[in-house]
Amino acid sequence: MADLVIATEDLRKRYDSGELSVEALRGVDLTVAPGELVAVMGPSGSGKSTLLSILGCLEQPTSGSYLLAGEEVARFDERKAARVRRERIGFVFQSYNLLPRSTALQNVELPLIYAQIPRDERRRRAARALESVGLADRLAHLPSQLSGGQQQRVAVARAIVTEPAVLLADEPTGNLDSHSEAEILEILDDLHDRGATIVMVTHAREVAEHGTRILHMLDGRIEIDETLRASRAAPVPT
Amino acid sequence: MSLAEQLGLAVQALRANWLRGLLTALGVIIGVASLVTLTAISAGAREGVATDLKRLGPNIVLLDGEFITLPNGVTTPTDRTLTRGDLEAVARLPSVRAVAARQVVEGLTISSGRVRTSPFVSGVSPDYLRIHNVTAAQGRLLTRDDNRFGREVIVLGSIPARRLFRAAAAVGHTVRVLDREFTVVGVYARRGSLGGENLDNNAFLPLTVAKRVLFGGDNVHGADVQVASAADVAPTMDAIDSLMAERHKIGGGLEDWSTEDQAQIINAAQAATSTFQTLTLALGAIALIVGGIGIMNIMLVSVTERTREIGIRKALGADPRHIQGQFLTEALVLCTAGGALGVGLGLAVARVVSSLAGWQTVIAPGTLVVAFATALAVGLFFGFYPARRAARLPPAVAMRYD
Repeated sequence: MADLVIATEDLRKRYDSGELSVEALRGVDLTVAPGELVAVMGPSGSGKSTLLSILGCLEQPTSGSYLLAGEEVARFDERKAARVRRERIGFVFQSYNLLPRSTALQNVELPLIYAQIPRDERRRRAARALESVGLADRLAHLPSQLSGGQQQRVAVARAIVTEPAVLLADEPTGNLDSHSEAEILEILDDLHDRGATIVMVTHAREVAEHGTRILHMLDGRIEIDETLRASRAAPVPT
Repeated sequence: MSLAEQLGLAVQALRANWLRGLLTALGVIIGVASLVTLTAISAGAREGVATDLKRLGPNIVLLDGEFITLPNGVTTPTDRTLTRGDLEAVARLPSVRAVAARQVVEGLTISSGRVRTSPFVSGVSPDYLRIHNVTAAQGRLLTRDDNRFGREVIVLGSIPARRLFRAAAAVGHTVRVLDREFTVVGVYARRGSLGGENLDNNAFLPLTVAKRVLFGGDNVHGADVQVASAADVAPTMDAIDSLMAERHKIGGGLEDWSTEDQAQIINAAQAATSTFQTLTLALGAIALIVGGIGIMNIMLVSVTERTREIGIRKALGADPRHIQGQFLTEALVLCTAGGALGVGLGLAVARVVSSLAGWQTVIAPGTLVVAFATALAVGLFFGFYPARRAARLPPAVAMRYD
């Protein structure tokens, strides 16, 4: 168990608002081994975004256990969760979520700032991450000066700059044209080839097929756990 | 994140909305400006008291004769109750340096040819001008010999001198007071005003001459008693009071004299500024509170507007403390900028007030420090709640916010 990146047991999440109570997760058992690229599919309301949000420690499950890289994080408070997010998790969102007044480089530096990395090292690592997604010549550009595909590449660079245990991507190509989508998928494939662990929510089958496994969610549960192939490469020890 | 980076981030965020920031900081600007003006004026008033004391003569007790109403309802006909013997007895008190008798004669007109003017005309003993630090601007002051020989001479203040002789030299000319002619021997240097009384609208005669030709009798209305030091003022007033009580023996708790500390009159004169000070302080305090609430309001708006940014920062690993620090820094930068503008405005207002109202103003470096500290305190106090609210936003909720 200890070498699993993610191991959840009977993960449940209920949202209460007044009389209305919605059970978004109804007992999710999920394990993700290092180097896997797991795609999560399912209709809207099936709980895939809630699952990603809990896996990313953005919110707490109502009950259940969640081991992230061997550490039980399900009941962490805001400060501990913040530490887990900056040390172990990288996020890529559908709508890029770059800070509009900061340059590409500053956006990628952001997680390193919160991790208290000294300035020079921060700059160097952020520049290298942008280089790895093919944006070496866009460091000083503002998000508004970049195309959607380029913005999402900045977001990917920002997510991997801390070398997280797991990269969580929520519909990373949902806002992109087919050309940009191909670019982003190529980058994700490349990361996967180099041993990164990725969990990606998508509703497009052809995107999901880039994964090693596809989880089909329905009504807050994993209905089908479909293995497509073995991990492409041996996991890189961290 | 270093302090410089934190500040840079705050400045960047504020610059994106600088006009809103400026309007928000207006309350702080006005509040700090009021504080700066206020302290400049009150420091000026304190210094004014000190210079007035120096200018008008230090350590002086004013002894004045008073009308009294007797138990049978009759009011005494005169307040010229101080006898030559009284003044000689006062002069013998150990702490007393000099006693200068004075008698103002009201309603007199001084004329030169067809020009006339009505200053306060006083007969004074020779020490009077000396203990009041009066100096001659033209000619000379009154001397002991003027008094002893009863010379019919007069020393004018700058106001009657200008009225009677315009720009020409007054010394050597003759003026008429009642049916007598007096030779102008000097014009004294300007003394300014004290509590609304213009001290330059006076004319002084030797006391002996005034008694002989203007009012007769030997008693006088007042005497100015100079004591050795400020510490002697109060004990000397008590000593004069008991001495006079013994000498006048009126009984029934009635006193036909009074004693007063000149310094208190000067203080009272400066009290005119204290009403203004109270108002300014009130204005400043209200402006700072309103300004602080304005800042709190705009920071809350800012937190709402930037909910998504907060969510992104949290998703990337920002601690609640990072977020709180970021918003608190913005409030502090806003208030500090407001404080700086307020200091500038306050200095300008202090200048205008001192030239319009004629009040002295003094800018102490400490004032500026206090003003900045106040602005920072306002930022810290009113920025705290919005910052904490930002820090406590649940990240998942903030990420979903549009």
